Amino acid sequence: MRYIPNTDKQFEEMLKEIGVSSFEELIQDIPSDLRLKENLNIKGPLSELELFEYFKQIEAKNKDVSKFKPLLGCGSYKHYVPQVIKTILAREEFYTAYTPYQPELSQGTLQTMFEVQTHFSRLTGFDAVVPSIYDAASATAEATLMALRLTHKNKILISSLLHPEYIDTIKTYTEPHKPEIKIIPHKDYLLSIDALSELLDDETAVVIVQNPNFFGGIEDLRSIADLTHKHNVLLLDVVTESLSLAVLKQPKTLGVDILSGEAQSFGIDLNFGGPYNGFLATNMAFVRQLPGRIVGETVDRNGKRCFVMTLRAREQDIKREKATSNLCTSHNLNLYAINAFISLYGKNGLFKLAEYNVKASHNLRDGLIKTGKFQGENYPFFNEFVLDTTLDEETIKERLLSINVLPPLKLSNYFEGMINSYLFAVTEVFSKSDLNKIIDVLGR
Amino acid sequence: MKLIYEKSVEGRVGYSLPKDDFEGSISDFIPEYALDTQPKELPEVSEVDVVRHFTKLSKLNYGVDDGFYPLGSCTMKYNPKVNEIIASFDNFVNAHPLSSLEFVQGNLELMYELEESLKEITGMDRFTLLPSAGAHGELVGTLIMRKYFEDMGKPRHKMLIPDSAHGTNPASSAMAGFQVVEVKSNEVGNVDLNDLVQKMDEDTAGLMLTNPNTAGLFEREIQKIAEVIHSSGGLLYYDGANLNALLGIVRPSEAGFDIVHLNLHKTFSTPHGSGGPGVGAVGVKKHLVDFLPYPLVCKCKDYFGFEEPIKTIGKVRAFFGNFTVLVKAYAWILTMGADGLKEVSKAAIINANYILKKLKGDFRSPYDRFCMHECVLTGRDYKEFGVKTLDIAKRLMDYGFHPPTIYFPHFEPYAEETIMVEPTESESKETLDAFIEAMIKISEEAKTSSELLKEAPHNTYISRPDEVKATKEPILTYKE
Repeated sequence: MRYIPNTDKQFEEMLKEIGVSSFEELIQDIPSDLRLKENLNIKGPLSELELFEYFKQIEAKNKDVSKFKPLLGCGSYKHYVPQVIKTILAREEFYTAYTPYQPELSQGTLQTMFEVQTHFSRLTGFDAVVPSIYDAASATAEATLMALRLTHKNKILISSLLHPEYIDTIKTYTEPHKPEIKIIPHKDYLLSIDALSELLDDETAVVIVQNPNFFGGIEDLRSIADLTHKHNVLLLDVVTESLSLAVLKQPKTLGVDILSGEAQSFGIDLNFGGPYNGFLATNMAFVRQLPGRIVGETVDRNGKRCFVMTLRAREQDIKREKATSNLCTSHNLNLYAINAFISLYGKNGLFKLAEYNVKASHNLRDGLIKTGKFQGENYPFFNEFVLDTTLDEETIKERLLSINVLPPLKLSNYFEGMINSYLFAVTEVFSKSDLNKIIDVLGR
Repeated sequence: MKLIYEKSVEGRVGYSLPKDDFEGSISDFIPEYALDTQPKELPEVSEVDVVRHFTKLSKLNYGVDDGFYPLGSCTMKYNPKVNEIIASFDNFVNAHPLSSLEFVQGNLELMYELEESLKEITGMDRFTLLPSAGAHGELVGTLIMRKYFEDMGKPRHKMLIPDSAHGTNPASSAMAGFQVVEVKSNEVGNVDLNDLVQKMDEDTAGLMLTNPNTAGLFEREIQKIAEVIHSSGGLLYYDGANLNALLGIVRPSEAGFDIVHLNLHKTFSTPHGSGGPGVGAVGVKKHLVDFLPYPLVCKCKDYFGFEEPIKTIGKVRAFFGNFTVLVKAYAWILTMGADGLKEVSKAAIINANYILKKLKGDFRSPYDRFCMHECVLTGRDYKEFGVKTLDIAKRLMDYGFHPPTIYFPHFEPYAEETIMVEPTESESKETLDAFIEAMIKISEEAKTSSELLKEAPHNTYISRPDEVKATKEPILTYKE
């Protein structure tokens, strides 16, 4: 077997050195009545050639999805990933390393984590950042638990325009605390501030709002924060489309207390939904309640600047059941992609990329409305928007597929009563002529 | 080395954007209350700068491809290259999770087949592939235990966890709302059955057990343990961190386990990625299937879809799991086949016992037993020379090895100053011999020139960072 270097002869020699006559002797601790009597019934072994062909054949059972540009977003955005990022991710020193427990052998990982913490800090305004948690749904659930710990209260208000899968994840994570969870209704595609005002009370621990929200709408975070803080309640802001942070005011300056984000937009492929990369950001005052790995700067014994995992007294391998979370393995490999993506686009590039997304999506919306087949209320949005249509689902699908575009999300699956509403996402992968084609086929 | 921010030059560009021939400007579309007209203070570097930056960073790291990486209970085995290529196939990585199911039948079939293989390898009846890491799997498993008892109308509040367990076990149990009760290990490194009997009761949900445990020892009395737990109506949870010892030899189901989690990034060869992404797949026996998180992959005739178990604990993340990691794990299983899997465990066990045999003279083992896929040694005899186990580990770096896990497991009086070595099946006798030779040399150095160890490592880019300073005056971001 090519992944097992020792030969049978070497194993024989080693057994002799160990002082046993057979492998069986080594595993004498395993009761014989527990042993498998027969071989496992699984496929293989396949040669590399057979393996490759097998997976090519399974891949071919998917539609040729790489040829289609998606009008789907909803927490999974098709942004172009610069090719150089793939070459960086292919470096074995990154992908075959473990969690950086030995700083002398993992400064590459630790410095990357520190740099990403800095990027997220500059995008959000916060000083304390956990750069990698599985995804934003689980990161948001962790942030909710953190809010319960910080406030010692047990009521949670969640915007109805938080990604439905995130809402469900929060419910699962918080269930052992038996919290009171209330959903804040929306109005005109944005959170209803009047409804929030009615639901808020001094028993509330946290208000959870997505911005841009599930409909792409840009919330008035400042007003929401002011109202929330009047009751000494924490505001948790969830960002599924982190590219928006490039052009929006820093959430901290608007009064957000904790931010939970999904960084998939920064150089990570769609991957059929994972792996992505969640992150958390907050004020230094809350740093000791954060879950997960954080990196800090220090010096080595010769005074050289270096980086280590820090504030470790929060973590499971030290505090066991008293830890802030059970987080151990996270999604660190993605941090190299995120770091490279943000560094390549940089200060002006990221702004321009976000600007392109804003302009292209508004262009499509205006174009679709002009056809007369689509209608919708005006509301401020980033790169996702909702329109109602007189076209039926099959027609939309058929026409869009004919020009290699994946149809937008039908909202009736998520929101009762939104029978003819669709959620469109537009990124830089669509050129103006692509959008014109879409307007053309849907306007017929 | 410099931070990417310290390489920034105003006006430098590392990107190319498609032509923006849209009308208007951003302030026409984004309201004043939200728009930040100033770009955020991010670096400005060229593509060349970025490539050199990451190449340099990579050289400060040590991976499995660089050499021996014997972290105990981490299973740092070889990550096959072909699996990386397969997982990057165009129509895998470009699949949108919300595209209609007819577009992604291949992905679903692959997940379905992987689940079938995991069922066969463990003897469990159903798996969820959703959890993103071992600890995530533990949370799912313990939430299932919680809901199982609630559903019977008899909620239980305590969870038994051996003192040898990974820290994630008690942390996950606490997240699932359980009060953690520690079970002692005995003089042979196994669960102390008397202590277990005393602590198990009808308010206890069950026991989370790693087998072989973190001392690399098989729980000889596993059948009695299962009986104690089950006779009080409890559930037995299998932490699969050490499954690499048992492939094709014993299945958790026959050993009496009700729930298992498997770390696909350990036993099933997918890369650790500097700390993830992994997969902590959770398998359960029939009586717990209804509680699994959703969605589960299902097959109706020849069509694949998703379903929601009727008493589901709910969702634990967005979408369907770490799909590309699943691809790699399945590719590994198919490469090995049934015989290959057995070979893996055999090789891992012989390698570990070879190290144990050769080193226990110099680094006393707490137990006089054969080990399974990893062995526990101790550095306690070098304390008298002023040398700590940490010093031994750091000195190993000078010899070109990644150190083993140290100070874990820790349970007095048997396991202190521990050095836990897991060689995996990927290592040759020559590599093991070189490691053994280095360890013996270090043991001599410890007696004759302990300063060499106390100041180690000498050949790495940095040495002995001041971790106290990092905690006392936290600097978590770069400031000009």
